[in-house]
Amino acid sequence: MDITPYPKLFLANDLNEALRALRELADSAIPLAGATWVMRAPLRCETADRTLIDLSRIEALRTINIDQQEAVIGALATHEQIANALNGYNDLAALAQAAGHSANPAIRRMATIGGNICTAEFAAADLVPALLALDARLEIEGLDGSRTQTMAAFLEARATRAHTDLVTRLIIPRTQRTSTHARLTLRKAGDYPVANLSVSIALGAGGKISAATVAVGAVEAVAKRWTGFEEAIIGHAPSPEKMQMIAKTCLEEFDGRDAMDAPGWYRLRVLTGLVANAFSTLQETTLGRAM
Amino acid sequence: MTITLTVNREERIFSGDPRTPLVDVLRDHLRMTGTKAVCREGFCGACMVHVDGAPMASCLLPVGSLDGAAVTTIEGVATMEHLNAVQQAFEDHDVVQCGMCFPGMVMTMSRLFQTNTSPDRDEIKAAMTGNICRCTGYERIIDALMSIRTNEVTS
Repeated sequence: MDITPYPKLFLANDLNEALRALRELADSAIPLAGATWVMRAPLRCETADRTLIDLSRIEALRTINIDQQEAVIGALATHEQIANALNGYNDLAALAQAAGHSANPAIRRMATIGGNICTAEFAAADLVPALLALDARLEIEGLDGSRTQTMAAFLEARATRAHTDLVTRLIIPRTQRTSTHARLTLRKAGDYPVANLSVSIALGAGGKISAATVAVGAVEAVAKRWTGFEEAIIGHAPSPEKMQMIAKTCLEEFDGRDAMDAPGWYRLRVLTGLVANAFSTLQETTLGRAM
Repeated sequence: MTITLTVNREERIFSGDPRTPLVDVLRDHLRMTGTKAVCREGFCGACMVHVDGAPMASCLLPVGSLDGAAVTTIEGVATMEHLNAVQQAFEDHDVVQCGMCFPGMVMTMSRLFQTNTSPDRDEIKAAMTGNICRCTGYERIIDALMSIRTNEVTS
């Protein structure tokens, strides 16, 4: 294959140009969104000499639109943009908080939501559990057309997906729920979480939980829904103490990930504390006003 | 691939590998060594520069993505005769220790004071999250920054 028309960094002017380059260069190219993961490849001892297909000029992928039915977030929206745009929406608070507290301000200014969810090797992404908890769907475009996919389905196939398609938008249904995100870092700030958790709940009669979606990141290699806990908390008042007690009985769903920053058992140990923190935050903010 | 940048108000041309991090272009090609290459993963803040006005970690920016951008480094944030308010405060309060983190601190905090002329202590700490001082001089740095809370926008 003749790849000489492409420099080692190709600035795509539109989506079709990017998709064509990715298809023509196949494994010798990688999409570049915020650059915060790709540019650290040498620190991970990755030596592949790949062409970067820079998406940053595709302005259409930066937009964020929120109406009463859904929030549609372009894949190139940065964490900073998302935190600002979603501020004040109770149902979307988990994503706003995840975007607003990840890493540090300079990283949040660069790192994109598309890059965050497409980086299969990054287990501690904050946006992924938030998107799972908010029941987000992804819009994916290729030269053959576009399709949508649930976050769970995307994550299941993420590690082996080809980079010839691009995630273009995240679509989050608006609800009457309230949500929050909790994370534990080894340093107080500016660090990756050893565990993180997003919670989205609806309250029914008597202030009891009538519906819940909870997702956990960083504990295992890929973030996932905590379905046993979701079912167990239905019908209970959302007190932090009660929620933590229930969480302790639902930990068997996880197989903690051993890594340099923390052993697997530690991630599980702190997870129930994160549950208490998340429900405390809900009580102090939105639930406190609703109850 | 030839990349044209405006660095400290001067047009500069780079013709090497477009994937080269901006920090290496600044230090190795333009000999502007005030910007430090330390962690190379966006966590220490020592390589902070302004790109089109916003503080960015230059270790994570491939120079090819920046064609046409305006870059300001520590060498261009003020003049030797007239330091900006952040630089002056750091000097007046004698907070510079080893000096490795200070170019990045100045770049981050100069921008903070451009957008918020009277930040409180917590806002300063939050803005400083991505700038690590290995000499652990944080509280004195914050004291110095608190001393310049005015309505005057830094240059």
